[in-house]
Amino acid sequence: MRKKVGIIACSGEELLGGTLSRAAARIVVEKLRPQATIILCEPLFAAGGLERHGGQGERNFAKEHPTITIEGCEEECAKIAVEKYSGPAAATIRVDEFLKAHPELIPRSREDLGKDGMKLAEIIAEETAKKVDELFISE
Amino acid sequence: MVREMSKEKVYIIPCSGIGKVFGSIGRETAYIVINELAKGKSALECLPLIVKGKKEVIDRLKLNKVIAIDGCPLKCSYNNLMENVGKVDAQFMTTDIVKENRDLRPEPSIFPIGEQTKKLSKKLAEKVAQKVDDLLKQKEEGE
Repeated sequence: MRKKVGIIACSGEELLGGTLSRAAARIVVEKLRPQATIILCEPLFAAGGLERHGGQGERNFAKEHPTITIEGCEEECAKIAVEKYSGPAAATIRVDEFLKAHPELIPRSREDLGKDGMKLAEIIAEETAKKVDELFISE
Repeated sequence: MVREMSKEKVYIIPCSGIGKVFGSIGRETAYIVINELAKGKSALECLPLIVKGKKEVIDRLKLNKVIAIDGCPLKCSYNNLMENVGKVDAQFMTTDIVKENRDLRPEPSIFPIGEQTKKLSKKLAEKVAQKVDDLLKQKEEGE
């Protein structure tokens, strides 16, 4: 089986960080490392009791493959879910750190990131892609 | 039309899916409802926080009406709400609005979403906003 890295974004709808995490995850999976990554759905992954509805596949994938979480806020929902159900996350990317590191980039809103927000999402995605590469090298 | 402000809020919980455009329709629908069609009487919560069981969020949802919007048959929003909050007052599937509007084919792009996807989201948002009104009326009348 060809090795893949799972990307799981917090995806929180209420926060700007959730939108940035989602955009970064899509950029990694669609543009930067399409052959090496696969996206995992956070609520499907984390849902207690969803097994009976067929949500176990996400957890099994993360048990057998390295998984990178992208967190939109300090709650770290994705990381906590991965650690609880599948084992330690291979890496965690925190959107807050990128917002602090790039004060010149001001995303417009959670609904529409705007040009600056998309630029920031690209930076987050590039960092995530570097982690993907590291994981491929390390194994 | 922007509806009047009110104290009670109906919480809109879209499914968070980012693998397919049907999740994007749910999210866009929720934003249209809370920012335009039912501004002031509806609000969002993060589904991942609900799944995590964040107490203050769960308590808030238990006290208010809740609408789930799902993008696939696994119904993450509906099932997670039932699991963690214990109720859902109304539910919508984004796939239904796609079936009802065969002339509008949602573009596969998730970031950014396409024009057809936006139109479908607006149509679904109108239904959800109507449900917001119905639920608030129900609550005012003491159910």
